[in-house]
Amino acid sequence: MTELRPHFHDELAHLERDLVVMGEHAGRMLSDSVDALIASDVPQAKEIIAADDVVDDLFLEVHQRWLETMALQTPVAIDLRLMSVILHVNSHLERIADLAVTIAKITKKAKKLPHDPTISTDLREMGDIVGEMIRTVMEAFEARDLDRALALPEMDRPVNRLNRKMVRKVAGLASDPELLEWGVRMMVVSRTLERAGDNAVDIAEQLAFLLTGEFREFTDASHHD
Amino acid sequence: MGVAVESRDQALVESPIVFDVAGLNVHYGDFHAVKDVGIQIRRNEITALIGPSGCGKSTVLRCFNRMNDLIETARVSGSIRYHDVDLYGSDVDPVQVRRHIGMVFQKPNPFPKSIYDNVAFGPKIAGFDGDLDELVEQALTQAALWDEVKDKLNDSAYALSGGQQQRLCIARAIATSPDVVLMDEPASALDPIATLRIEDLMQGLKENYSIVIVTHNMQQAARVSDRTAFFTVDMEETGQRTGVLVEFDETSTIFTNPGEKRTEDYITGRFG
Repeated sequence: MTELRPHFHDELAHLERDLVVMGEHAGRMLSDSVDALIASDVPQAKEIIAADDVVDDLFLEVHQRWLETMALQTPVAIDLRLMSVILHVNSHLERIADLAVTIAKITKKAKKLPHDPTISTDLREMGDIVGEMIRTVMEAFEARDLDRALALPEMDRPVNRLNRKMVRKVAGLASDPELLEWGVRMMVVSRTLERAGDNAVDIAEQLAFLLTGEFREFTDASHHD
Repeated sequence: MGVAVESRDQALVESPIVFDVAGLNVHYGDFHAVKDVGIQIRRNEITALIGPSGCGKSTVLRCFNRMNDLIETARVSGSIRYHDVDLYGSDVDPVQVRRHIGMVFQKPNPFPKSIYDNVAFGPKIAGFDGDLDELVEQALTQAALWDEVKDKLNDSAYALSGGQQQRLCIARAIATSPDVVLMDEPASALDPIATLRIEDLMQGLKENYSIVIVTHNMQQAARVSDRTAFFTVDMEETGQRTGVLVEFDETSTIFTNPGEKRTEDYITGRFG
């Protein structure tokens, strides 16, 4: 087959490569943020907050080049769908990095408070799963692997379950005001990890759209508790 | 897991069929130009025919008003029903056909007459006995040319710019109140501004006419048409190259999620 638009298709590949780099950064930031939280490692938390600038810069660069490519190349069909997906994934990855920053900031505030080991274990598990979800969906994106994209909701299920149980666990700390304060902050962390998981599922939905041409939400949050 | 399917189908309302084409084959002598084409042209829609050179899109267009009759070696077989009448039936007069089915060509081809006479010529020949001035104004207005020429109707049509000449040809085509307007690359000889004017004009015209347009410009097909037919060239067993219809669908589908890989390869530029 003769390639009639090599420059345009090179540019598409370039945009996609930048997203993959962003995905690696954002995924690492999220995993590191949970490590720093569990270890009360404030210097590492500060590094994560600083690392967000890298993702923000990539986000802006992808966004700018995306606009130029749309304006100059008028993509259609699979190229148009890829462009749409790039715009969405760019936002989701930038959001995941922001969520990692949220956890890093909580690490600083929670450092001097007492910890509950059961809740820490749950957050560790949630962080591991969400980190794996981000890696999986970005690998699936690179490989155009629909089956792996479709597996994301199943991976997300334990994250949602652990998040739902978090309220009761934190309520169990009510007798100790300092422990309760820590617990309330950990509820925010739990919710943040759950949101990061949802962003990974959203990226999987985008990948399914790219590959099938049909957009559908894998899960409809409005129909769940 | 709850699954919410977002419906993205905004299918066109199926307006009545003007042309119903089935098993259309066109030969020029021994050359098999178009093979087994099936397509429906619907009322008040713009249908675009796209594809690489030699794919038969202009040949198919010329079947719609029996222009191929004018080529001695041309042989048309299969079925083209126009409002459910066999267009190629023995009792059908090709001249009458062309009165109902007007045509606009690639290069503006006004008559060497005044602007007024270019538009009035067809209705006069057809025996129009109403208010000719009113008819001329109406046709020029519909062709978005009236304001530019109303003070110089007796000037030669050749004094107009290329874009104006093409709109004059459109006015001439619609002055006989056709049912269908066929357009063969109507903007390919025009500059970008004149092209956009023609494209905009087509949107207004489809309220009154059904339009079939052949275009090499895929973005033009995407901008103006409701449905798009993608043709390509197949290599026959004999080594002959023959035009075939690959895919026919709503234009929005063709340009976002075509069903055929050959369509996708062509419109995304992965075709050689």
